[in-house]
Amino acid sequence: MGSYNRNGIARTMSTARTPLTPETDAQILTIGSTDILVGIPSYNNAATVGHVVQAVSAGLAKYFPDRRAVLVNSDGGSSDKTRDIVAHTIIDPNQLFISDQQSVLHRIITPYHGIPGKGSAFRTIFEIANRLNAKACAVVDADLRSIAPEWIELLLRPLLDEGYDYVAPYYLRHKYDGTITNSLAYPLTRALYGQRIRQPIGGEFGFSGSLATHYLDQHVWESEVARFGIDIWMTTEAIASGARVCQSFLGAKIHNPKDPAADLSAMLTQVVGALFAAMERHDTLWFRQESSQPVPLFGFRYEVGVEPVHVNLERMVANFQQGLTDLEAVWQKMLAEDTLAQLRRLKNAPSNDCRISDELWVKVVYDAAAAYHKRVMSRDHLLKALTPLYLGRTASFVLTTQGLTSAEAELRIEALCQTFERLKPYLIKRWAGSESHEPGEPLAHRTATDAGGTYERIP
Amino acid sequence: MSEFLSQAIIGPLQILGQHVLSVLPNLLAMGMILLGGFAVAWLTGTFVERLLRVIGVDHLSDRLGINAALLRGGIKTDPSRLIGRTFYWTVVLLATVAALGVLNLAPINQFAQSLLAYVPHFVTAAVIVLAGYFLSNFISQAVLIAAVNAGLPPARLIAATARWGILLLAGAMALEQLGIAQNIVVVGFGITWGGVVLATAIAFGLGGKDLAKEFLERRIAGRSRSDITDDLRHL
Repeated sequence: MGSYNRNGIARTMSTARTPLTPETDAQILTIGSTDILVGIPSYNNAATVGHVVQAVSAGLAKYFPDRRAVLVNSDGGSSDKTRDIVAHTIIDPNQLFISDQQSVLHRIITPYHGIPGKGSAFRTIFEIANRLNAKACAVVDADLRSIAPEWIELLLRPLLDEGYDYVAPYYLRHKYDGTITNSLAYPLTRALYGQRIRQPIGGEFGFSGSLATHYLDQHVWESEVARFGIDIWMTTEAIASGARVCQSFLGAKIHNPKDPAADLSAMLTQVVGALFAAMERHDTLWFRQESSQPVPLFGFRYEVGVEPVHVNLERMVANFQQGLTDLEAVWQKMLAEDTLAQLRRLKNAPSNDCRISDELWVKVVYDAAAAYHKRVMSRDHLLKALTPLYLGRTASFVLTTQGLTSAEAELRIEALCQTFERLKPYLIKRWAGSESHEPGEPLAHRTATDAGGTYERIP
Repeated sequence: MSEFLSQAIIGPLQILGQHVLSVLPNLLAMGMILLGGFAVAWLTGTFVERLLRVIGVDHLSDRLGINAALLRGGIKTDPSRLIGRTFYWTVVLLATVAALGVLNLAPINQFAQSLLAYVPHFVTAAVIVLAGYFLSNFISQAVLIAAVNAGLPPARLIAATARWGILLLAGAMALEQLGIAQNIVVVGFGITWGGVVLATAIAFGLGGKDLAKEFLERRIAGRSRSDITDDLRHL
């Protein structure tokens, strides 16, 4: 799959060149090479991007004063002043106790090519990092309100001084903030690949230059990865490629809400689509993985107050109930008979008693993954048909954690993770076997070479 | 007497014999073509059926829901056999037409020609109906899921409308292709479709006036939903 593995990471020049604008090309030639690259993807973020650029500049000046650094803004065609603000924002070094003996911070402001989305913006950042031969890179969202200069150190230091290849963020969040992460992305990634990365789709990441080149070489840029799928893809791809991963404690994440026009169904489709696609690519890897282990966490942990989140429980339950009546025929194709039977029992349950248990939810996810793998129906339909199920599960989570603190709710998430891990044999059975298999029968053996291999039934 | 006999009976018999003799090779040829045709038909049918079984068409059509559709239509044969039989009967038909052609009789030739000329239309119509059927299944499923996700109560009704709209269109196109009551089909379809669209427009206009107003306000003025109390962040 690539030249990237645990035993010595050889950096190879990427063969697939991503097109850049002539101005950017010229700027890269002038700059030559760099130690650090910080990328900021943006689209109409004039209100917040100035603060982000200030934090990045201050962080680089304060913690990496003698390193050559480049700031890249990959913009999706903003119609406001985002690009102007990135170009002209400056910091006052005296105010921040920073000596002004600094190496210059170069700024590259460029549009990106390809499908509009965060992933395509990242691709351009990877390409520039590759051409500038950057040693360590970080990406931060342009809509952040709580970013501080320390974040830059926390995201980059493990790469430069500790020999890590990938730094995932670790935030304190409200118990209902990031429900796709809590009910799906975190437990599933952990059960599959054995690494307990708490925020696999956090949005802020640090990664080594060679990992950026590895990302660039993957042919995924026409898929969900080009949009919201990018975060989960970066994390799974980092683990699967054998990169050394760690986490950095960044405190609270306060940001303007994600694109308000992006509807939940599309977001879920992109994240789950990227997750399932990665499962197909790396199934030799996760078939072997049995338990999970903690991932090192850098940074000083402290308590923060988190913004409260309001939840419209009735609407979520109503959507789930409508799915039960209207989508039964569709769910029948993708879920196991027993799973669907258990869901049916929730039909017409009152909204405060409509609970999808941990075990049932895990089976829904595993059934859906296996159905995706076997292409029992259009993959797009399958992913979209998960929305009411996800809302039903989110409602159940809200119901069970209503009176709990965020720390107590965290224990519930831990329990869910353990259920994901415990039921992994069920996933392997569904993934590899066919419906006619008797339980307990040896299911499949595989050609033990590559993720591209095929399953062969044992006669 | 013997001369009379030879003139009155043997003469015509001889002529008849000559006729028979002149037709006989043709008849023989026809028989051989028919026989050969049946043999080729059997071989083709069996070969196609086997081939389809080997490449797993039955399994695929099971996944695509074709088997279920066939079962609903009262056909219990699996698709491989069905296609094999279709090939068999097509070759038999072609062989019969060719065999009749050997006799070189004007009415039969004409019939054979018009039959052959009709075949492409028939095939096109069959393809249209088949494509329409699959498209309607796919689209109605997509519409159903999207409608449920958007929380629209009549999701199933909307999906069914989409399905029947496409089936109606495909049916009309197929009938037009077959040349069956062309004008009636086109006019009938036009009236039905136009009626449906108009009815929907009126229904929306009258029944969904407020909904449309709210939708437009939301779209154009960027005003948020009235039930914005939910600020759950999923990512």
